[in-house]
Amino acid sequence: MPYYETIFILDSLLTPEEIDKTIQQVQNLIEKSDGKVLNIDKWGKRRLAYEIQKKQYGFYVIIEFEDKGASPALLENEYNYNDKILRYLTYRFDKKKLRQWEKQQQKRKTEKVSKKKVVTEAPGDDKQIMTEDKNAI
Amino acid sequence: MDKKTFKPKKKRICRFCSAGEDYIDFKDEKRLVRFLTEQGKIIPRRTSGNCAKHQRQLANAVKRARHLALLPYIADIPR
Repeated sequence: MPYYETIFILDSLLTPEEIDKTIQQVQNLIEKSDGKVLNIDKWGKRRLAYEIQKKQYGFYVIIEFEDKGASPALLENEYNYNDKILRYLTYRFDKKKLRQWEKQQQKRKTEKVSKKKVVTEAPGDDKQIMTEDKNAI
Repeated sequence: MDKKTFKPKKKRICRFCSAGEDYIDFKDEKRLVRFLTEQGKIIPRRTSGNCAKHQRQLANAVKRARHLALLPYIADIPR
């Protein structure tokens, strides 16, 4: 299944609950058409480079998902209908983006592993530091 | 003074090629800003030195970033 990414800008004046609700709506739409949400990234409130609907700030949300190809049209319909969404962009990963994305994914995995290692190794390190300190004194 | 002093042509190198980059991300607008003029126009290939492949990608990336209000279509010109 091809990978997609959709980015949308929400009105920054919405409450956190409303923002979560709209994100959930989009997620439901993707899952309805047999898609699979892989990653949700909230950029948060940012200043827009130019005013959109007389608004200076926007809340950016990025969703990566996997789909057969039906959901982008559904999403577009929803985005046009929803007043809270100022702008949107949905695109399918091309060769280059896919390559970069896979690299990123591998990095994330290794980071997770290394973090776990650090957590397990940490107590031992502390002891060492303690002993070193005693020597110093 | 010899007026006909020969200046060796500066060889312009594509920055993306030399960095070994395959994909230009439209989401990090801070990198894209370097390839824009003060007014927000895309700098042509003959001055930036990008190769055709990367210039095409860069132009697409800038256009996407503009649509998402990460970059301005027109930056303010102080008068």
